[in-house]
Amino acid sequence: MKRQDDLERIARAEEQWKHDVLEPRVKRFQLEKSPTRFYTPTATRDFDFLEKVGFPGQYPFTAGNNPFDFWRAYAEAGAKMGMRPEYGGSGAAGRYSGYGTAEDYRDYLLRMQSLGSRGGPNVAFDLVTQCGYDSDSPFATGEVGRVGVAVDSFRDFQVIYEAFTGDRDIDRVPSNFTINAPAAVIIAMYAALAEKRGIAPAQLRGTPQNDILKEFIARGTYIYPPRPSMRLFRDTLVFCRKHMPKLNVTSIGGYHIREAGATRVQDLAFSLANGIAYLQAGVDAGLDIDDFAPMFTFNAFGGSMEIYHEIALQRAARRMWARTLKERFGAKDSRSMMIRQPITAHIGCTSTTLQRPLNNLARAVVGGIASGMCGGLPAVYPPFDEPLGLGHSLESIQLQMDATRILIFEAKVADVVDPWAGSYFMESLTDETEAAAQAELDKIEAMGGAVAAIENGYMPRAVALSAYERQKRIENQEDFMVGVNCFMGDNELDVSVQRMVDELYDAAHMATAEERQLAKLAVLRRERNGKAVADGLAALEMHAKDEAVNLMPDLIECVKSEATLQEICDVLRGVFGEAEPVRV
Amino acid sequence: MNSERRIRVLVAKPGLDGHDRGARVVAYGLRDAGFEVIYTGLRQTPEQIATAAMQEDVDVIGLSILSGAHLGLTRKVIEQLHKQGVEDIPILVGGLIPESDKPALKEMGVAEVFTAGTPISSIAAFIKSHVAPM
Repeated sequence: MKRQDDLERIARAEEQWKHDVLEPRVKRFQLEKSPTRFYTPTATRDFDFLEKVGFPGQYPFTAGNNPFDFWRAYAEAGAKMGMRPEYGGSGAAGRYSGYGTAEDYRDYLLRMQSLGSRGGPNVAFDLVTQCGYDSDSPFATGEVGRVGVAVDSFRDFQVIYEAFTGDRDIDRVPSNFTINAPAAVIIAMYAALAEKRGIAPAQLRGTPQNDILKEFIARGTYIYPPRPSMRLFRDTLVFCRKHMPKLNVTSIGGYHIREAGATRVQDLAFSLANGIAYLQAGVDAGLDIDDFAPMFTFNAFGGSMEIYHEIALQRAARRMWARTLKERFGAKDSRSMMIRQPITAHIGCTSTTLQRPLNNLARAVVGGIASGMCGGLPAVYPPFDEPLGLGHSLESIQLQMDATRILIFEAKVADVVDPWAGSYFMESLTDETEAAAQAELDKIEAMGGAVAAIENGYMPRAVALSAYERQKRIENQEDFMVGVNCFMGDNELDVSVQRMVDELYDAAHMATAEERQLAKLAVLRRERNGKAVADGLAALEMHAKDEAVNLMPDLIECVKSEATLQEICDVLRGVFGEAEPVRV
Repeated sequence: MNSERRIRVLVAKPGLDGHDRGARVVAYGLRDAGFEVIYTGLRQTPEQIATAAMQEDVDVIGLSILSGAHLGLTRKVIEQLHKQGVEDIPILVGGLIPESDKPALKEMGVAEVFTAGTPISSIAAFIKSHVAPM
């Protein structure tokens, strides 16, 4: 710790420097103030290293969750073997994918396996499924199987898993499900599948996104109002802890909130507010905090090009979450206090530009440097052709992977853990970020927490207004984006690169998916036992009306009776009502 | 301009796509640029959009689509408008629209396609030059 007189000496010297050196230069260039800043120990006067930073792998985890990460331990060995990671995947689940009918997607997965894919499914569902409709709903026209696979019933779900048997059975590989409002139904399908295969649900691993609150703030695939949505969250949480203890209950997303326009501070505060609401749901249900908090994951906070600030965000986030768990929720297990996320800092997809898209590689590398410097795999993300809307090309993915490798092995950015620890600048920026996010979080808590701040429209509206402020700053050239609002003259060269698109999905199948899905659905409705369906739905309805009942057993029965996703969701719509979209 | 009827713009999100950053930003921007803006909110069917356009008596319709379903959804909105006897309201499309799909949209009758990076001032200028308030 700095002695007080030492700090006073530096403060006096700093004033002298400003007077003798800085200000004359500011005058010489006819500026109002210096365009740059310089930090001294006076920026962190009360800085207590052990309290604010500590050691990597120890509370408050500012410097990182681990002294070194799993991937770092074997990086060189992987390089010598020429290991090619399954890009886009997290953990042991494979690449995020899904299209067409369950049959189309199963065949895709089998093809990927023949090409060496080893992970479990990381399922993208189509918007119809994500919004709790069937493929024959009027809302479904044109959307079936488009942004993910169509799942109307347990039958579809089982077809997908025909690709996972033997040494890829569901007690061997984990599954990720990017779904929120109907997450409970999908978890029920997973449990029912295990039962059918004679596998104990306790052996199932995986991560449902199951983060409904951010859907109201961004992304928009909500069904029921926030409170009954939280009841469903509670039901999944309590059921998973009892019967599927290896399932990560939720993957909390700040990424979507930032991409929708939130500022960095809003991203951090809103994500933590949502996380706190989920933690409270577990505590209110009588669970012990250390029993379930370690099963929470974050899929990432959002990112931007401002890497100093993004590094500060990651450090502040780790510290805030750790303190929240320890001080507010009384956690004792350090695993409860860590933010588990597949990537740390990165740029956002909204940082990329359609104009001169190869520049996005330079942008993504900046994000990779940031993550390498704040406790994560250097995440060069996204591939440069992301904003073209054409799918990622083989070239863009090769460049993305190579850039990550260059950062790890040539630049060695990940060889020091939290290289910014103790920096006067970074510690003060981390403190500032934390203080601003805490103020925002306090505001939300004063409203009654995340659910209340969704119901009264505060969080969604704040995000939309921030998006508009950003747009105005770009149009007024207060913020700069190269090729978008500056450097667009005739002398700039529109650099392009050969793009071979990886034809992952069969376009012919995609085109006929809706028709085939409708035919399958008609067969299902004819073949299944109508009475079992009706009985299951009636029990679900009765129990849905009683807040105290956990709906998972009923959902599993409904799924097994081959009730459709929409039939199940419609029963709950009847009891819970539907969410009103926020007006802006 | 103040004494005249302001140009009325319907900003709509057809389909189930929930990515509404662009729609909201354009709605705010056009409002500040002096237009009267009606934003439908998420998950509108083509029928609902056509009906809203009629009922609100709008001068221009902006569709925001980022799900890749832009060709089908835009065609359906236009069909619904024709069904309801509306032939003359210019339609603008924005969102994640690949360059190669622009000609097909124009052929359907879309007046202009605006993609990422477009200043709102350009959209406003386009509307002003193509629409005269009644």
